[in-house]
Amino acid sequence: MTPLPMTVISGYLGAGKTTLVNRLLAEDHGLRLMILVNDFGAINIDADLLQSRTEDTIALQNGCVCCTMGADLFMALGDALDRRPRPDHLVVEASGVADPASIARAAIAEPEMSYAGIVTLVDGLNAPGLLADDLIAAQVGQQISAADLVLVTKTDRIDPGLGGHFARLKARGPRVLDDGPLAPLLFGTIPLPKGPQPAAHPAYAAWSHESARQVSRAALVDKLSARPEGLYRLKGFVLTDDGGCEVQVVGRYVEARRAETDRTRLVGLGPADRVSRDQIEAWWSA
Amino acid sequence: MSSITVFSAQTILTMDPSRPRATHVAVRDGRILAVGGADCADQWGEVTHDDSLKDTVLMPGFVEGHAHMMAGAMWTFAYAGYHDRIDPDGKLHKGMTDIEAVVARLSAQAAALPPGAPLIGWGFDPIFLSSERLNRHHLDRIAADRPVAIMFSNFHLMCVNSAALAMAGYGRDTNAEGVVKGADGEPTGELQEMAAMFPVMRRVGMDFRGLSQTASSIRAYADVCRLAGVTTVTDLFSTMEEEDLGTALAATGADDFCLRIVPALGAIGGSPDEIAAKARRLAARATDKLRLGAVKLMTDGSIQGWTARVKWPGYVGGQPNGIWNTPPETIFALCEAMQREGIQMHIHVNGDEASDVSLAALEAAARKHPWPDARHVLQHCQMMGPDQFRRAAALGACTNIFANHIWYFGDQHVALTIGEDRASRMDAVRSALDEGVRVAIHSDAPVTPMAPLFTAWAAVNRRTMSGRCLGPEQRITVEEALRLITLGAAYTLKLDAEIGSIETGKRADFAILGADPTMVDPAHLKDVPVLGTVFGGRLNLS
Repeated sequence: MTPLPMTVISGYLGAGKTTLVNRLLAEDHGLRLMILVNDFGAINIDADLLQSRTEDTIALQNGCVCCTMGADLFMALGDALDRRPRPDHLVVEASGVADPASIARAAIAEPEMSYAGIVTLVDGLNAPGLLADDLIAAQVGQQISAADLVLVTKTDRIDPGLGGHFARLKARGPRVLDDGPLAPLLFGTIPLPKGPQPAAHPAYAAWSHESARQVSRAALVDKLSARPEGLYRLKGFVLTDDGGCEVQVVGRYVEARRAETDRTRLVGLGPADRVSRDQIEAWWSA
Repeated sequence: MSSITVFSAQTILTMDPSRPRATHVAVRDGRILAVGGADCADQWGEVTHDDSLKDTVLMPGFVEGHAHMMAGAMWTFAYAGYHDRIDPDGKLHKGMTDIEAVVARLSAQAAALPPGAPLIGWGFDPIFLSSERLNRHHLDRIAADRPVAIMFSNFHLMCVNSAALAMAGYGRDTNAEGVVKGADGEPTGELQEMAAMFPVMRRVGMDFRGLSQTASSIRAYADVCRLAGVTTVTDLFSTMEEEDLGTALAATGADDFCLRIVPALGAIGGSPDEIAAKARRLAARATDKLRLGAVKLMTDGSIQGWTARVKWPGYVGGQPNGIWNTPPETIFALCEAMQREGIQMHIHVNGDEASDVSLAALEAAARKHPWPDARHVLQHCQMMGPDQFRRAAALGACTNIFANHIWYFGDQHVALTIGEDRASRMDAVRSALDEGVRVAIHSDAPVTPMAPLFTAWAAVNRRTMSGRCLGPEQRITVEEALRLITLGAAYTLKLDAEIGSIETGKRADFAILGADPTMVDPAHLKDVPVLGTVFGGRLNLS
């Protein structure tokens, strides 16, 4: 069975996690999502999508939303894995003070799951105050440091003070959350090259590569660590002098494991304001 | 006309200041009709004398104000801890003070399991063992042909054998944080934090969620309580859903179920208003033996895990300050909503910054929605000093202090967490009483074993495991301690009109003891035998 990809949505209170969840449910991505939330309160379901609703589960045409209601989150992950048919993608809305890495690491450890990133939302107006508050700064900062993608909400520009915090916290690709579709980025819905590539949304730079060229395994490791910072997702297979290799990049996370392949096939994606197709091509072909 | 039973005892310690001692107690309809001598109930009609307890000492049934239902069902798994513990059947499990003892004990238990069934252990605490770390080679000696998984007492670490590693697909190629590897590049068997433990827990069926909601778990909890002389107990962070209520009502409603349970709903999974509404729905279903309606707030973590939020100067090892499990602004929002809705709160506070923030939240709520007898309870209160106790007293808030910590973790606190000076004033029951706060003391079972007489002993003697007295100025008297485990704890549950002392009109709930705790050497208070309980006039002997 294909491993279940898991994306963790992180962010302090009021950063816009539930709004993001609502957006993901409404987007036309064709995936069956399972979303674990702490609280149903603000979940906004289009009546056309709604199938049924109980105290802790909302069943939808395109998946379901489950409220963990304080039950052990990890047991809820187990329930998600046991569900048949298994959802295409699992999204976990972390609590406002959770360290998202402590949840996302389960997707690395669990053979039946795959890591699909930590997205941390940052309230562009309140965050500088939180990051200066001794009571809570460390936990808010950790959410930013752990993220593969930092999205700033409630503002249309990142003010210099917040930018300074981002630099100190080594925030990955911080950008203002715009109106573009999120599914291509978060769920990696762009397929590997096998024929004509679907056009990505103009908000994203999409790149693909197919060849029979072999690279050295050591060079691949160096190349991956030198990837453009704006390249959020990279997935596919690479032929190396040491056999085939399956590659997964999500933000700061890199995974390369042995796999059978006859060609190198890769697809990469990043926000168009952070990276361009040409930059990705230049990096790979260098 | 209901019958009247007059129990005789060697002594009855009533906790009633008007009649501190008696020899007889009369019971009718499960309640105390009269207290005094053999003729105490003669005015009320014909009586039956029951002298089966005549050689024992009776006290009000003990009240454990901070424990968890899991304390009973943990024994579904094999005990692997350092300290002696008594299981729900009354069997003593000697503590295992080195790894060889753990291997020997669990090997015997593994041999009794069906082929292939996992052996799951709990309670192992490496903080007390100075030898090498527990690893898969040790556990492979327990069993090679079945998964073996031992959960550590802090629930943040576990160690598993090679068969369990293989089930989770953990090996040389595993590159997951928390899967500890040795110098040889192979996993050692130690797994750190839930993300790394989860793949094994899932595959061996280690389900702590299921430990609180079944009828057998609830009965096991009652057994643990009976052995400790406890007739009213809390379950502080209940995850009870409305669909679990039927099971709990049926189990506790049985005539031979001799325990009153006071669950406090964990305040997570919804807005403050939604949590309040849920607490109210639960309260509407409450019975005498299942007192639903309160809520439990988490704030910080634990001191021995360096996750408690502590004020300056922080941890002696330079560890970063701890974490909030509920952000301060949510603590304020919850306190305001619960205060407004008239819902009593139990608030977990280990570090002094957590108690500081929680007191501030209670103060803010009290200004907005005055409620003179709210009786919210700060729980653990391990680093509260006189200043914070004065604030609690002014608010009418109670403090339920984790006295057992002095014995179990006092030496660790001196050496590793907050250092000598602050450790000697931890769990400051003397200061709390002197500042006029309402106080209880607790075990937090299963974190430490449920045994109110032990908890009283800990507050009276403040001995640590190394034998020293940690903070002698904070000791209290035996009489004070006995009051805290009865009427003191009853007050924190708003049950002091019904239980906590042996006086006319209250429920006939007694602890049956083998000696008078006020007559033994205070150093031996914990060794006073508990023979069972009387619950609502019904004998419930161990």
